[in-house]
Amino acid sequence: MALRELKVCLLGDTGVGKSSIVCRFVEDNFDPNINPTIGASFMTKTVQYQNELHKFLIWDTAGQERFRALAPMYYRGSAAAIIVYDITKEETFQTLKNWVKELRQHGPPEIVVAIAGNKCDLSDAREVPEKDAKDYADSIHAIFVETSAKNAINIDEVFTEISKRIPVVDGAGGSSARSFKLGRQTSESRRTCC
Amino acid sequence: MDPSDGFGSPRHEATADPAWASFCSWLECVCVVTFDLELGQAIELIYPQDVKLTEKEKTSICYLSFPDSYSGCLGDTKFTFRLRQSVGRRSSREDVYNRDAPVTLQKETAHFFGYVYFRQVKDVSVKRGYFQKSLVLVSKLPYTHLFHSLLQIIAPEYFEKLEPCLETVCNEIDQWPAPTPGQMLTLPVLGVILQVRIPSKTDKPAGSPVRQTLKESLVPAPMLLQTIHELDMFKCFQSVLFHLQMMWELMLLGEPLVVMAPSPTVCSETILALVSSISPLKFCCDFRPYFTIHDSEFREYTTRTQAPPNVVLGVTNPFFIKTFQNWPHVVRLGDIRMAGDLPKQVKVKKLSKLKTLDTKPGIYTSYKSFLHKDKIFVKRLLKGIQRKRPSEVQSAILRRHLLELTQSFIIPLERYMASLMPLQRSVTPWKTPPQIRPFNQDEFLSTLDHAGPQLTSLLRGDWMGLYRKFFRSPNFDGWYRQRHKEMTQKLESLHLEVICDADLLGWTKDKSEVEIVDLILKLKEKLIKAGQQQLQVKDGVLDKLNTFINSMISSLPQDQQALLNTP
Repeated sequence: MALRELKVCLLGDTGVGKSSIVCRFVEDNFDPNINPTIGASFMTKTVQYQNELHKFLIWDTAGQERFRALAPMYYRGSAAAIIVYDITKEETFQTLKNWVKELRQHGPPEIVVAIAGNKCDLSDAREVPEKDAKDYADSIHAIFVETSAKNAINIDEVFTEISKRIPVVDGAGGSSARSFKLGRQTSESRRTCC
Repeated sequence: MDPSDGFGSPRHEATADPAWASFCSWLECVCVVTFDLELGQAIELIYPQDVKLTEKEKTSICYLSFPDSYSGCLGDTKFTFRLRQSVGRRSSREDVYNRDAPVTLQKETAHFFGYVYFRQVKDVSVKRGYFQKSLVLVSKLPYTHLFHSLLQIIAPEYFEKLEPCLETVCNEIDQWPAPTPGQMLTLPVLGVILQVRIPSKTDKPAGSPVRQTLKESLVPAPMLLQTIHELDMFKCFQSVLFHLQMMWELMLLGEPLVVMAPSPTVCSETILALVSSISPLKFCCDFRPYFTIHDSEFREYTTRTQAPPNVVLGVTNPFFIKTFQNWPHVVRLGDIRMAGDLPKQVKVKKLSKLKTLDTKPGIYTSYKSFLHKDKIFVKRLLKGIQRKRPSEVQSAILRRHLLELTQSFIIPLERYMASLMPLQRSVTPWKTPPQIRPFNQDEFLSTLDHAGPQLTSLLRGDWMGLYRKFFRSPNFDGWYRQRHKEMTQKLESLHLEVICDADLLGWTKDKSEVEIVDLILKLKEKLIKAGQQQLQVKDGVLDKLNTFINSMISSLPQDQQALLNTP
């Protein structure tokens, strides 16, 4: 089975839950008291997608303003960017739009963009209507999901959607009949909403 | 599932670790040295902020991080220096890394390396009209190639993005797995993934595979470094190819040597290449890839009241010609012109010619090589130049040649040394381990007739004389101590194993309490020592002995038990 390494970066305002999303995806746990990321942290996770293995090389960047200038090194060469906002904070959605602009101007031309409205478990405090975000995502042809790293909602789905949109490499994969021997998908089975 | 998945530890766990633990397994600190109009060279920024460097060390780092005279260094300059650690610094205990790494890649115990990326560009906003700054990685590890590759990634970013960039890099390094001999490591930094293999002591000493040129790849594929420490050997030796044999002998013998080069880069790379030319032997003398008049050992090393010390120094400042007039071997390198043709070869010249500042390139020495030149080999390399053989291939050929030469030299020594080891059956549980027989130079030399280097090398010459001189060098001393230590530890391990297999309980049956207590204390001491030295013994031996000690203690009267159980 072909193994493809996919560089993925997470972008977005500070405190929206980028690290929590990565932590949920890679290790399937959640820490409510996670420290702010300094610079960036790096994690990997391999999942099976059709007859390919996708190894996600995940660069989780810092949301704090002082690290902003470093972002190009992380989205440079990325196959996908997950831009995260907090559905309970309107201004984080504005920051997201700036990231989209920056990616359009300076990011890799083929980059797959996924928009994740995190903290969907806190819908009582919602400030960003789902429909607005969905319409915006559609307008820029981005993947859109509302997620909750805390309750493990739609986390694996973001990455599956990314896998779907990654262009197929000709000749990659080889014989699909053999691929089943290599075992099942490694990602945890998805969880349902709370 | 990919076993390397996950990577690093999540931060909420990492906070429980001592601060910067992973970072410290790679680097002592990262600092930025700047030119301050009032202070001169000064440290502007340092990570980790609480790094324990003495004032003297900081001053040395400041001075050594800038080229000695930087008029000729416009743009970016990369070089390496080495400085002495201040005395009184807590020396690191025997660590597992040093036990498993090749001797030539062990962590320094009394020195630091400084890997420098110096930038000097015109800048009208600065009073002096120039921007002058160095980003310096300070480490005990001799990973020249890895750290310079790292600098190539981080330094240009740092000069643009400043402190947050450095903070990020240091935090990323703090997530790296510790350097472990024999392992392939993934080292993420600033969106790039470096992949390196840390060599192990048990690797077969074959020349490394031909190194591919480092591409600054923009794709996510990891950047695979073929080596962490090797330099472009051919580039470094190209103007002294005719005298390769002599250079190798000078290094083997640890002779006092100065290399004067046109730039800090050439200077430091040449010294590092010379030092590595006797690998797998460890070069045990002091060496300074970049030595300046500000070096804290300047007086010590340039005194005329004593014979020159056994050190190898790289310098760029022409002032040194006068200083080192009395040194036995001075190599002066010129600007290297490489246009497909033969690089200009320096000539051997009389020391007395070394007088004026405009001294021509050459090797100023009266040294006569013990071994003959390998003219066929030199011709082969020179042909390679004409045929435009890539520098990496030339380097691999050169490294292989030097390796075989060094191997031919040390195999007889290794063989003789091994013969000094007591027979395994003389290791018995009831006696202290037998002694290793002393190294007898004459006895060794008498083995050369039938088991000398002629078995593996075609080179003719006075091998005997070379060994005699080698015995007086620090390199022999260092090699002998290392081997002796390994053999002593081997004996100690064997001893523990035979004790473990012996019928200790049976022995205690008719023994008095005093004798039993004595045995317990001796065994305890042995186990503590085994732990301190990271002795490698068969699985289960240490556990079994501990269990035995505990069961013996519990068979003793209560008051004795209390006494023996106190750690």
